[in-house]
Amino acid sequence: MIISTQNLKRSFQVGSEKVEALKGINLSVEKSEFLSIMGPSGSGKTTLMNIIGCLDTPTEGTYHLNNNLVNDLSDDELARIRNKEIGFVFQSFHLLAKNSALNNVMLPLKYAGVREDNAITMAKNVLDKVGLTNRINHSPSELSGGQQQRVAIARALVNKPSIIFADEPTGNLDSQTGDDVMNLFKELNEQGQTIILITHEEDIARQSKRIINIKDGLIESDYKI
Amino acid sequence: MLFKESIISALSSIRSNIVRSFLTTLAIIIGTAAVIAVIGLGSSANKALDEQIDDFGPRTLVVSPGQNRRGAVTKGFIPLDIKDAYALEKNEEHNWMISPYISRNRQVKFNNANINQRIRGNLPIHFKVRGYDVEYGRIFNDDENFGRKRVVVLGAAVPKELKTSPQNILDKEVLIAGTGYKVIGILEEEGNTGWQSPDEELYVPLLTGAQRLFGTKNVDSINIGVEKDANVDEIMMSIERILRAQHDIGPGADNDFNINDYSQFSDLRRQATGIFTALIAGIAGISLVVGGIGVMNIMLVSVTERTREIGLRKALGATHKAIMSQFIVEAILLCVIGGCIGVFLGTSVLYLLASFQDWPFAMPFSAIVGSITFSAMVGLFFGIWPARKAAKLDPAISLRYE
Ligand SMILES: Nc1ncnc2c1ncn2[C@@H]1O[C@H](COP(=O)(O)OP(=O)(O)OP(=O)(O)O)[C@@H](O)[C@H]1O
Ligand SMILES: [Mg+2]
Repeated sequence: MIISTQNLKRSFQVGSEKVEALKGINLSVEKSEFLSIMGPSGSGKTTLMNIIGCLDTPTEGTYHLNNNLVNDLSDDELARIRNKEIGFVFQSFHLLAKNSALNNVMLPLKYAGVREDNAITMAKNVLDKVGLTNRINHSPSELSGGQQQRVAIARALVNKPSIIFADEPTGNLDSQTGDDVMNLFKELNEQGQTIILITHEEDIARQSKRIINIKDGLIESDYKI
Repeated sequence: MLFKESIISALSSIRSNIVRSFLTTLAIIIGTAAVIAVIGLGSSANKALDEQIDDFGPRTLVVSPGQNRRGAVTKGFIPLDIKDAYALEKNEEHNWMISPYISRNRQVKFNNANINQRIRGNLPIHFKVRGYDVEYGRIFNDDENFGRKRVVVLGAAVPKELKTSPQNILDKEVLIAGTGYKVIGILEEEGNTGWQSPDEELYVPLLTGAQRLFGTKNVDSINIGVEKDANVDEIMMSIERILRAQHDIGPGADNDFNINDYSQFSDLRRQATGIFTALIAGIAGISLVVGGIGVMNIMLVSVTERTREIGLRKALGATHKAIMSQFIVEAILLCVIGGCIGVFLGTSVLYLLASFQDWPFAMPFSAIVGSITFSAMVGLFFGIWPARKAAKLDPAISLRYE
């Protein structure tokens, strides 16, 4: 089991009010799963991803990643886990504008302390894998939305993470390039990559192997396709 | 590799906001330029001083007339006599050069030219003490001095002032106070050394001057050239002893002459220049610190602007330290670039100033290294807080930041 959460809760203090974004999530994810999290806006999808992606910590409940308790780790230990075990893909790509595709993909390797020549080889390999062999020196502004998202996926892949989290990865793309990105995810999953996808769209979610519906911070349904 | 990443990201951030970066570093640029120019000015002044002292060749002590006090009654200045100089000369203890002189202004005529000029009566050794060399002819000798011969050596500028050339005036007679003197030599150009203008003077033998021109045996002062490594205290004590005997000064009575060590003055002047330089450089340094506050301000803005980038970097595994170093490197780089521009600016200004004013130009390397190091330290100091702010950002919240 890669991910296992028990009664995960997360609340935010907004002024004098307490917003409960997650109200007790019990979730288990096995290796090589391809899972979609669906739910209306504000239901807590991103909050859940942040916690299981080690960007945030729960206010209550426990979270085990690769059978290790994550709750009590220090900021730098969490940073190390994000660097080695987790790859993020965001709706708005989040690429560094003044850097080439290659540099963007190399960034996690720099934080991992990989030697520069090795890092270049590794980054080129994953850029190959996402079909951007001829675009490695382009900056984000010189790439289409679909290509930018592929760079982001390559960046998520480069440290060979246990899980990839993708928060609305097709949200900013037209349906054709959205399908291309989904095909890339399917291909990666067939090679054994664990992927957790967050989406609003039913037909995107249907392309994965398991769908979890969240509503008001609770899991409403969880079924395999 | 992380450090290299910090440098690259800092440079690209500075470059993408080039106008803002420039305005931010302006105070650093001006501060460093001011510090550098002032320090350079100070060491140029010292260099000028050194060159002046070198002109004197060996170290020179100056004995000048003083006041004789008996009780509360001041008897006015007691003159120094030529005999005093010869008494010093006779002393065999020290290897010194005794050079007394008398100088007055007199009318000098040559053909139609008629000028009022400084005439100096001195011994042949005077030229050696001062390190003056002849360009044409020769200087007078001891025989001409003792013979009270009417011979004269001209400073380099004198022929021109007499509307002639060195070649035309050499071996001719000039009229000094109405009497003819043979021009036997003309000196090389010496340039002005502070308060003296050796090029403008006419030099006659001391005894000739005393008897024929000035009508006095009292000398203005006695210059005593000593070797550079001589024991000055001991020499001063010998001078005192000899002159007190000459002047019949009893035990317990005050000297009626003064002995000055010129190089003491130059040490004092050097010290004063040093203190002054440090003071102004310190004041200019304050503007560097003020510049540092500007850098801190802009770094805080930069951190806010780049909240999403910081969130992303953290999501990709950047530690506290990695984010800290990125922003501190950026602040240091900003200041160091400003410092380098400032050094260039300050050095150029001083160089131009020096070449227009005909000063010697000196810029100590340590001042350049020092001021760039100082601006780096300003960057480090004022970069820490913004960098800490960046490093402490919550990654989840930063990623949501619009
Ligand atoms: N940092 C925060 N501070 C305060 N409230 C927050 C914070 N993060 C999330 N929330 C609140 O928690 C709830 C869940 O937010 P979350 O972003 O997880 O929703 P979501 O399902 O991802 O929505 P969307 O589909 O719009 O992205 C919302 O009510 C949101 O306002
Ligand atoms: Mg969301």
